[in-house]
Order: sequence, then structure tokens, then C-alpha cells
Amino acid sequence: MPSTQPIIEVQNLVAKYGDKTVLHDVSTRIFPSEVRVILGGSGCGKTTLLKHIIGLLKPFSGTIRVFGTPIGDLDSPETTDVLKRVGITYQNGALLGSLTVGENIALPLRMHTTLPESIIREMVIMKLSQVDMPHAADLYPGELSGGMRKRAAVARALAMDPPLLFCDEPSAGLDPVTSAGLDDLLLRLREALGITIVVVTHELLSIQTIADNIIFLHKGTLLFDGSLRDARALTRGPLYDFFERHAEDSGSDAAATSAPGGENHS
Amino acid sequence: MWKFDTIRSWPKQAIFYIWACLSPAAGINMHEESPDISAHSQSLAMPEKLTKEWVAANRIPPVRRESDLVLDMTRTRLLDSAGAALVHLLDRECRRAGSRLVLQGIDRKVQATLASWTKDMPGEEPEAEALPGAALVALGEQGLAFAREVTTALSVLAEILYWGTFGLLKRRDYRRGVLGEQMYQLGYKAIGVTVSLAFLIGIVLSIQSALQLRQFGADVFLVAMVVWGMIREIGPLMTAIILAARSGSATTAEIATMGVQEEIDALRTMGLNHIQFVVVPKFWAISLTMPVLSLLSTTFGIVGGFAVSMFYLDLSPALFWSELTKNVILKDFVISFIKSIVFAWLIIWIGAYYGFKVKGGAEEVGRATTASVVTALFVIIIADAIFSFVYNIKF
Ligand SMILES: Nc1ncnc2c1ncn2[C@@H]1O[C@H](COP(=O)(O)OP(=O)(O)O)[C@@H](O)[C@H]1O
Ligand SMILES: [Mg+2]
Repeated sequence: MPSTQPIIEVQNLVAKYGDKTVLHDVSTRIFPSEVRVILGGSGCGKTTLLKHIIGLLKPFSGTIRVFGTPIGDLDSPETTDVLKRVGITYQNGALLGSLTVGENIALPLRMHTTLPESIIREMVIMKLSQVDMPHAADLYPGELSGGMRKRAAVARALAMDPPLLFCDEPSAGLDPVTSAGLDDLLLRLREALGITIVVVTHELLSIQTIADNIIFLHKGTLLFDGSLRDARALTRGPLYDFFERHAEDSGSDAAATSAPGGENHS
Repeated sequence: MWKFDTIRSWPKQAIFYIWACLSPAAGINMHEESPDISAHSQSLAMPEKLTKEWVAANRIPPVRRESDLVLDMTRTRLLDSAGAALVHLLDRECRRAGSRLVLQGIDRKVQATLASWTKDMPGEEPEAEALPGAALVALGEQGLAFAREVTTALSVLAEILYWGTFGLLKRRDYRRGVLGEQMYQLGYKAIGVTVSLAFLIGIVLSIQSALQLRQFGADVFLVAMVVWGMIREIGPLMTAIILAARSGSATTAEIATMGVQEEIDALRTMGLNHIQFVVVPKFWAISLTMPVLSLLSTTFGIVGGFAVSMFYLDLSPALFWSELTKNVILKDFVISFIKSIVFAWLIIWIGAYYGFKVKGGAEEVGRATTASVVTALFVIIIADAIFSFVYNIKF
């Protein structure tokens, strides 16, 4: 893996809201076709890090490169070009409520391409089939359940065949079965399309299943950046506490899956 | 816009499933060498990169009846979802045309990509118009939907009337000052606009009539026209129109927002009747204020007519007054009162019905509000027409 170019490179990122520093000197590199999980308690700056990477927020200092291109203003042509190759699902779903699910997915295709309507229509069904809801094109987001809305958001993020997908807390607020389904979906996508996926989550089960590598943020500081196996091998520190606490919460299930989850990674 | 309406209606869904069981399994023909391609097949060379750019730049190849379409994919090394969509679309069109799509010389990797993209897709959308009896099913569904709407609307009305009267004896609404608050919001705040519009309409109507009456020297009949018009028609009707636009829409928006934020659910699980809690105060507020508003606007309309007859037709105030008392009878006031009460109930009923109808998200609130106002105006004017008809029947 080290031989390839990183797809995302964050160098010495410092992020502030007003006077409040939210990220202290964060650096990391993410490589093609890996699933990287950003971990951390709520309010530790996970969403902030994600929003900096996609250019929604401007760093106080430090640089960010995606596909080798420095991320600047959202309006600049270089950044727009990069963002066309990035799929994003937001923490709150962010489907446009006034459009049907199908129109939501067709929106980026209509904006960025001149594809004929019959092909766009076919692609909408294709994306929806990938998230297991092929018949939902004509429903409005208000008519979907929470889990379906999350999956529809993934379908929209996939509309332009992005090689890079960001998911901010895809399973937050979902029941364990639905959230496991979503994890499955992400893995299948990686397998079928070979895309790089960056997931923000705090679900231990989910981490065990999907993560290749993890970043652990604690109060805005990057405390761990490495493989899942290395993370599991820790015997103390905040990340160890995090795993312990969550293992107790999710009971024996998590313990049972932890072994194969750790083995899978190479 | 297209329609894939297989989720919302079970009859169509049932037909779809039967159809799916009978039709051959979906799957795209992927022959490297295809021995039995029909004689008049057409062959098309695909590019190295079958991607969005290529699909957008090239015409979708036409599919002919009984003529196989061969895509020569020997050169193709890259396929994105637009390319896969093109292949899938062509495959479906070929099936429909009774021919086949053949992918010639397709690379193993490209084949795998294509499969991963299209394997979960439904084989073919059911063609609604091709299904026997589909039109009948649709008609029946629409009829049922309409019947359901009417039932719901009537049950909302029944609940309003029950909880607004007998229900009050059974269980009181303990919020203090809620009726006064609603009367202030729905009635008092509408006084200014209602009264000034009535005054202006009184003037406009009188001027138009005066122009005609003057030609015949029948100036004095203006008084009767204005007074009758205002009391029987314009007063209650205009007040109703203004209240429908102001208070009816506000009622819909408020109830719909409560529904979206699950406040209605909360009320019901706390053992409160949502109609009693939300609608009844408004019902009483509008029932009490509407006749007053209607009377006020009638009066100001007549004042407008008086101004015109004084300054334009030179009728003396004394003559105006004597004509007025001569022409007005109690029946006019009674009909005006009944009308304004009926209009008030229509407004609150329609407003509440559209509010409770909202089930989805926030954007539905706006749509429901618009629908509520339009329906209310329509129904009010129809009711007014019925009143005019009944009033003029000689008993
Ligand atoms: N728009 C904002 N203005 C000011 N502070 C913010 C803003 N957004 C987030 N924060 C603060 O930044 C910190 C990190 O937030 P966030 O990145 O959203 O956390 P999370 O890890 O839960 O996604 C929190 O303490 C939060 O209060
Ligand atoms: Mg967050």
C-alpha cells in the first residue's frame, strides 16, 4: 500500500470556530481502496475534519490535498472538479425534501453531464438497486424511514461514480440490523467498485466489520492513526478505554465478531 | 417525469409479481462468440472508455424489430455506470422488440463490472398500459381514494362538532385564555383589512350602479341595491374570503407543522383529543367573531354606498336613511348571520382537514396550506351560490 499515492493528504491541519480551536495539528494520509474510519466521542471534531477535507470549511492553517489537488475555495474550478469525483452523505441525510428520491439522485447527473434522460433514468434505478430500494424512485424523502433515507443518501452520493465516498455517521440513530445492512452495503460497494471510503462513526460493531484503518480523535487531537489490528492490540489509553466501554455496551455480540474482524485485515 | 409506482398500490404490485414470475429470468446475453446472430443484425463498435462522456456525446443506437443488436466490446476496457445504464437500457429495448442484445468480445473485468452494476436491477419495469385491466384498476383506486378522502373529511367535521359541543361537557379544555387568544388572532386582527376592503367595495359597487341608474333617473334605487347587496352577499362573502386566506391558511399551517413535529402524536398518547385541543378553540373563536366581522363589513360597505349617493348622486342623508329602513327586513339579517356562521365552519373545517392530512415532511406544509385556501375559496363560493338559490325560492 505505501507504494501508491495517497488519495487524501492532510498536513498540520488546525481548525477553529472563532477563537475556539477544534482540531489541533492533525495530519494523516488515506490511500486508494481502503476503508478508513474516523472515530471519536461526540463533539471531538469528526464532522469538522470531514468538512475541511471537502472544502466546506477553510483551515486556519495547514494544507489538504485530495487526488493530489490542494483544496481551496468551493467556487474555484479545481476544487469543483475534485468534488465531482467525491460522494458525500451528510450526518442528517440532506436529501432535498421538495424532490423525489429519483430526482435527488438525478440532480448531480443533470447538473454535471449532458446524458440523455433515458440513461439518467436507468442510472437512477441502478443506484437505487445498489442500495436495495429499486422501487423508491417516486417517493419523497418524507415518505421514507430513517434507514431508507440514509441509503437513498448513499445512492445520491454514488450518482457520479465517485472513486471516493465520505459518510458522516451513516448509522447514527438506526437500529443495529439496519446499520449492519448499511455496513454491508459499504463493503459491497468497495468490493464491486473499488472505491475509497471514509466513514465517521462511533459504532463499535460497525468498526469491527468495515474498517481497514482507523483514525482516533480525542478532543480535537489525533491520538491514533493505524490499522484496526494495531488499535485492538492497545492495552491502555483513551482508544483502549473507548473500545472497552463500547464492548461492554454492545455485549457479547461485539466480542464474538471481534476475532474475525481483526483477522481479516492484512 | 417517469413513474415507477409499484410500492404505493398493492393491486399494481400484485400484477407486477405475477408478471415477474411468468417472464424469463433477467440477465444480459454476454457472448464472446455468438453463433446464431440473426441475419439482419446490426453491429456497433464500442469505444475503449464506455463512460459518461461517450454516452453523452453519442446517440443511443436505435433498436429494430427482429434484428439483433451486436455491441462490439473488444476494445472496451473501462465502463462506468452510464455505460452500464446504456447496455441495460438497450438490452431491455431489444427484449421488448423481440430481438437480442449481444455483447461481443467483452473483457472479463468489464463483464464483472457490468454485472456488479446491473445484477440487482429489476428485470423490466411493468408497463402499466400493457397490463389488461390496468385502467380499470387505476379507476377503482382513484374512486376508493376519493371515497376515503370524503370519509376522513366528514369524520373531522363530526369530531369538531362533537368536541365543540357535547364533548365540552364531558371533558373541559383546561388551558386558560385560549379562546380569547384565538379570537384575537383569528378575528380581531382581521378587522382592519376586512373593514377597509368592505368600504372600498361599497364605493366601487355604488359608483358602477349609479352610472346605470342615473340614465333612467332612478337614482333612489341605489340605496336598495347597495343595502341588499352588502347585507345578503358582499358582507358575509368578503369576510369569508378574507378569513379563509388569513385564518384558514394559518390553521392548516399550524396543524400541519404540529403533525410533522409529532406534536399531534404526543397529544394523543397523553390522552388528549387532538381535535379538541387544537381545533375546538379555533372553532369557537371563528364562530363568535365571524358574524361580528361580517356585520362590521356590511356596515362599512353601506357607508361607502352612502358616501357615493351623497357626493355623486346628491341624495340627501334623510332620504338615504328612509330608503334604507324601508328596504331592510329582519330576514336579510338572519340570512346574513346564517351565511357567516356556515362560512366560518367551512373555513375551520377545511383548514383543519388539510392540516391533519399532512403526513410527510416540512415541505408538505406549504403545499397543504395552498390547497386548503384554494379549496376553501371554492367551497365558500359554491355555498354562497346555493344560499342565493334557496333564498329566492318562494315558500
Ligand atoms: N458552526 C459551528 N460554530 C461553532 N462551533 C462549532 C460549530 N460546529 C461545531 N462546533 C463545535 O466544534 C466541535 C466539534 O464539532 P463536530 O466536528 O461537529 O463534532 P463531531 O465529532 O461530533 O462531529 C464541537 O465542540 C462543536 O460544539
Ligand atoms: Mg458529527
